[in-house]
Amino acid sequence: MFRFTATPFIARTLCRLAGIACVGLVVASSGAQAGSRIMSTGGVSAIEGAAGGGLSPWAVLSSTASDEELGATAFASRAWLDDYRLTVGGASLNVYDQVELSYARQRVELQTLGGELEQDIFGAKVRLFGDVLYHPLGIWSAGVLHKRLVDGATPTALGADHTEGTDAYLSASKLLFAAAAGRNVMLNATLRNTEANQGGLLGFGGDQGGREWVAEASVGVFLTPHWIVGTEYRQKPDNLSVGREEDWQSLYSAYFFSKHVSLTAAWLDLGDIAGLASQRGSYLSLQAAF
Amino acid sequence: MNQIPTRTYRTLARRALQAAALITILASVGGCAHTAPSTTLYERLGGENGIESIVERFLYRVADDPELVGFFANTNIDHLAGSLANQFCAVSNGPCRYEGPPMERAHQNMGITDAHFNQLVEHLDAALREENIALGARNEFLGRLAPMHADVMRYQ
Repeated sequence: MFRFTATPFIARTLCRLAGIACVGLVVASSGAQAGSRIMSTGGVSAIEGAAGGGLSPWAVLSSTASDEELGATAFASRAWLDDYRLTVGGASLNVYDQVELSYARQRVELQTLGGELEQDIFGAKVRLFGDVLYHPLGIWSAGVLHKRLVDGATPTALGADHTEGTDAYLSASKLLFAAAAGRNVMLNATLRNTEANQGGLLGFGGDQGGREWVAEASVGVFLTPHWIVGTEYRQKPDNLSVGREEDWQSLYSAYFFSKHVSLTAAWLDLGDIAGLASQRGSYLSLQAAF
Repeated sequence: MNQIPTRTYRTLARRALQAAALITILASVGGCAHTAPSTTLYERLGGENGIESIVERFLYRVADDPELVGFFANTNIDHLAGSLANQFCAVSNGPCRYEGPPMERAHQNMGITDAHFNQLVEHLDAALREENIALGARNEFLGRLAPMHADVMRYQ
């Protein structure tokens, strides 16, 4: 039974990844203009669709669009955890490097428990001030992520108060030039106000609590201008008594083939999820930008 | 029953992850301290000759860029090359003092956008690569020039 459900799922994911890669290649080979910002200053696509690391939104805006340019990105991501599989597809638009609009569709397959959960995430991020490379304080942005579960029955049964919710966050990112053995170091810190359980896939709020502030941070080293390795940490609320929720962390490696295509691989530790202990696994994400 | 091994495993894995992160940071910082070259950035850019070559390659690239070359229509290129070399020398702790105009005045009302600035940075980085400047020196040099963005953009 597992095999029958998994095979088309894998096929769909591969198609999606291949599609993204094709978009990237077509865009790159057609000589479509990349934005003028320096490669990799748009980060990659976080699992919630906003430009960032993998787990956390960063203050940078997606693609490499600069002050008089538009940029667009598309991405597909997949996480293979012990008892779950998360698949995300989405896109974002960068308007003049001032505003980023994003959309992501998340689907998690509950391989042990059975069934699946899906949510849509609509994001908006506004650059408040600064620049990740040129400003001494880096770049600062504020954003919202509005999340809507496709079918809220399971989260509600588990005790979630709502089937939709909105996160708000403030984020700062800064590249430190030649900070470690001559390599550039990327720092990011994000403060998020949220009531989302497991990012929203288990609903919003619950019998143990509601909205609260959580902190997220990441540090990465650009081993080369194309290749960054680092780690990310994301605090989480713990609102549902039926299953303890724990903080998320990752070790990541992202490679920028060009301004158009990047591939991120990561090792995830997402802690307990919905009563199933210590969910760890791998993560792959492919992004095309133009 | 199997709670204990699972917990232990998880705790160990988590500690390992955090330790790995910490070690990465410490190793990079330590590595920085150990490999910090005793030579100045000026020397790592190739000294006077190196910087002259960098400036020449940089200006050739800018001249070939239709979106940037217009800014230099009324510029004495020899004078600009000398002034840039002088500035690069001073910025990299070489035996020079920059005596050109302040950045904000040199770029006043030219209509420079972030896009132009970024393009210029890419040309400079490409020139550094073509001159085989090591990554560490490139990063450090670009890092010292980066704060000039605010001055260049002040009166646009």
